[in-house]
Amino acid sequence: MENLLDQSSLFLQQLVNGITLGGVYALIAVGYTMVYGVIQLINFAHGEIYMLGAFLAYTMVTVLGIPFFAAFILTILVCACFGIILDFVAYRPLRNAPRLAALITAIGMSIFLQNLAMMIWGSQIKSYPRDMFPAIFLKPALSIGEVSMTWIQVFILSITVVCMIILHLIIHKTKIGTAMRAISQDKTTSALMGIGVNRVISFTFAIGSAMGGMAGVLVGLYYNAIFPTMGYIAGIKAFAAAVLGGIGSVPGAMLGGGVLGIAEVMGAGYISSEYRDGISYAVMIAVILFKPSGLIGRQIGEKV
Amino acid sequence: MRWQLYKKDPRFVFLSLIFLAVLLPWLPLGASTNYVLRIMTTAVLYMILALGLNIVPGFTGLLDLGYVGFYGIGAYTSGLLSIHYDLSLWVILPLAALNGALWGTILGAPTLRLTGDYFAIVTFGFSELVVLVLRNELWLTRGPMGLPGISPPSIFGHPLASDWEFFYLILLLLMIVLLVVTRLQNSRLGRAWFAIREDEIAAQCCGVNLIRYKVTAFAISASIGAMGGAFYAKWFKFIHPDMFKFWESILILCLIVFGGMGSIAGTMLGALILIPLSEVLRAVLPQGLFNARYLIYGLVLVLMMRWRPEGLVPFKRAQAKKAKLAQERLEI
Amino acid sequence: MNTILKIIKLSKSFGGLSALREITLEAKQGQIVGIIGPNGAGKTTLFNCLTSLYYSTGGQIEFQERPIVPEVAETKRRLIKSCAMLFFVLGLIWVPLFWSSIVPHTFFKVEVVLLGIFILSIRFFLVRGLMRFQIWAWGLIFVFLISDLWFSIWWLTHLLSLGPMIGTGIPLYYFTVPWGIIAGPFSIYLISQLVLRKVRQLYGFRLGPDAICRLGVARTFQNIRLFFNLSVLDNVKIGFHVQMRSGVLGILLKTRSQRDEEGLTEKEAFKCLRFVGLDGRAFDLAGALAYGEQRRLEIARALASNPQLLLLDEPAAGMNAQESSELIRLILKIREKGITVLIIEHDMKVMMNLADNIYVLDYGVLIADGTADEIRTNPRVIEAYLGGGTAHAAT
Repeated sequence: MENLLDQSSLFLQQLVNGITLGGVYALIAVGYTMVYGVIQLINFAHGEIYMLGAFLAYTMVTVLGIPFFAAFILTILVCACFGIILDFVAYRPLRNAPRLAALITAIGMSIFLQNLAMMIWGSQIKSYPRDMFPAIFLKPALSIGEVSMTWIQVFILSITVVCMIILHLIIHKTKIGTAMRAISQDKTTSALMGIGVNRVISFTFAIGSAMGGMAGVLVGLYYNAIFPTMGYIAGIKAFAAAVLGGIGSVPGAMLGGGVLGIAEVMGAGYISSEYRDGISYAVMIAVILFKPSGLIGRQIGEKV
Repeated sequence: MRWQLYKKDPRFVFLSLIFLAVLLPWLPLGASTNYVLRIMTTAVLYMILALGLNIVPGFTGLLDLGYVGFYGIGAYTSGLLSIHYDLSLWVILPLAALNGALWGTILGAPTLRLTGDYFAIVTFGFSELVVLVLRNELWLTRGPMGLPGISPPSIFGHPLASDWEFFYLILLLLMIVLLVVTRLQNSRLGRAWFAIREDEIAAQCCGVNLIRYKVTAFAISASIGAMGGAFYAKWFKFIHPDMFKFWESILILCLIVFGGMGSIAGTMLGALILIPLSEVLRAVLPQGLFNARYLIYGLVLVLMMRWRPEGLVPFKRAQAKKAKLAQERLEI
Repeated sequence: MNTILKIIKLSKSFGGLSALREITLEAKQGQIVGIIGPNGAGKTTLFNCLTSLYYSTGGQIEFQERPIVPEVAETKRRLIKSCAMLFFVLGLIWVPLFWSSIVPHTFFKVEVVLLGIFILSIRFFLVRGLMRFQIWAWGLIFVFLISDLWFSIWWLTHLLSLGPMIGTGIPLYYFTVPWGIIAGPFSIYLISQLVLRKVRQLYGFRLGPDAICRLGVARTFQNIRLFFNLSVLDNVKIGFHVQMRSGVLGILLKTRSQRDEEGLTEKEAFKCLRFVGLDGRAFDLAGALAYGEQRRLEIARALASNPQLLLLDEPAAGMNAQESSELIRLILKIREKGITVLIIEHDMKVMMNLADNIYVLDYGVLIADGTADEIRTNPRVIEAYLGGGTAHAAT
């Protein structure tokens, strides 16, 4: 009987951890899915923006001495700008090029940025200094029996939820959100209707990158470890989440992120911790093979 | 008259290049000859790998990001076979190639019906899984401890030791791979692949079964990669899972993008230029920065796609030249 | 003259939009059959369904008295798919149980998961591939269902420590293990049988476009779909693809038969080019050709596969009067070879001069069919397509 209780509290604790991780993945996944929705490109460099967010916050706090929350806001803004620059420099010139070319450019940018970060910050794992954020973060916020949730987790979850709500409002209630949805259906017609396609795409990148950068800081906070290659690992997992939910669909990305986060934590706990990353890859491959439209997404056909 | 024709024939050009390469070890470069030889061996090895990868994006137009997975599979097949069973290289090479083809088929059969983006991601996932398996399955691969002590290949009982012996060996392998690739290119199979690359729908309506030909291309590409890996294990005599990271795939992709996807000459040229260049970088940059040489490769990819996506030797021009040659040969 | 093509009540809808509604069409051997209609009437969609680029949502197509697009009810397909999904999920239980019944302490290991995924994929593709032989598919589903149930029982007994089989005192795994040993290799055997056959299309029943080409149907496209970066000769050689047999081994070893076939390909390709009048341009890149020449090249490529039925989608588009006359002559030459031609055209002069029988489509529905004269005077057609005044101009 006791064993069962232990088992279930372990399970619930894992669930809590999983949902937290899932929230982070959802934040990153949303960036992928929005960009794919408007320009049908998998932005490989998105993971790098996430990584940059983590490092920027780190630099701001340690080198520039900016207090944490200010650094957090600044990082988000810088990442948004960075997303716009990325689109402008790398993807916009290739707007009408074949898909393969754009894909290769995305990969090239991703590799370039990873190594740039390595050159700037070195490849060792860094962690945020202890005194950087309020000590209360480490304390558990609520506990039910053996299951507890720290304030960090609450912070992450609440930010995630707030962001999702804001995003939903933007997409469905504002003019630019409608423009985004229009472009994802038909770019040419949208342009003909007077929508400034490039502007809207830049905006999409800005939002996606802002959220990605945010996720980076949150992860750095949560796991207390940042390194230049964290981007591409998390990037692939977030992409898996986006595909799981249905690429091109924002609620799908949120759902996929949650599911993947839970699956990863459960898998790491119950199956094997060495293959922790492998679980995401396996999920991704499985989803792509068996249900490429994901849980919520839609199919796109080609006109002959 | 025939001499004029020969001069323009790419085969002749390459034969003469190879003739020059064969002379290379005997050039009086003094003590650094071995160093140059090692660089050239690496360059030729990458030429082989690039030729293998070229088949998938170059001939069929699909992006394969998981090539390093097959490279690693070949290397570990070769390493394990020589450590446990002490087989000769000439047995290991075909076995590694077969293993590569097997995994290529297993990976390819379910995934090749996906669109390009998804396929790229799935291949990437595959190569990451391969590295994870290599790292964690200690009972098979000794994981992070690596696989030391692989015996060098031996010909008629004489184990290869010096750099020029390995150089000639890799040149021989290059010849074999070149033969295979050019034969395939100028055949029904090659034409079917080009058709898939140019226009899948039209190819289907001309009777080309997409899945079958894509899987064949993928399997052949995988087997060449595995062969390269097999050689690598026997040459380096030590392999470790970290040698087969995703970035190697990017490097090889960079070679073919730079040289020209789809053209054999371009691919080889790309390898010939970029690999020694990275050695130059190693000499010039301080140690810490050298690991960031992938930065340059990433940049090369981005810049090439922006300004010269066809690469150094564009596919179109290669085809036009081939047609012209065929015409001249007919007229003679 | 026998009927070479019979389209029976063909329908195709894209979600809510129905592009074709119960089209019935017939073509006899050696005829030239025309299809006209306003843009968006569904003419190209009809061709796409014929060549299996689209899956029709109703109706049947028979080519040379053989069904090439059979009727498959949507519900039946969905049922089979959901069964496949179900047994995929059940498979998740099967493998770890099988493994753990043999080697108990390796229950939750990654090898188990990987093996599980592997066997799951095999089972999934197995059912999809076997859907053609429905008895087999159902039988296999049944087999695996039983084994899944068996292992579920074992797992439950293991978990609740009921120990040996109730009542008899024999350990349960005496039964479950041999069953697993039988069911496992059995699935591998079946999948290998499947792999040795030609790969089936997604829903098992359908022939893919390449299979239809092999049966003798070739087509051209509304927007020219040539292989622009390849030479003209190569384009036609690809058309000849279906008539060749060389495989990887033959190519690598440059066997006598492969070399002979290459020679034959070259000769036949030149023959096709001469037939359309392009043999002077054989070594140019297809993209460098003039527009009219490109259209002729597409026809040459289609002819290279030695078809019985040729589908031409707006071959005269963008041609002037002289080129149209040449095209008419070319198509008549094609008919002389015994090939049946199905042609979509907007150019009335071409159509009236060529077609033995014309079908008129409007908004996916067949509104008339008959000879050129009958169509010209049909009031419905005039209203929908030709327009009142054009009735005179089309003479």
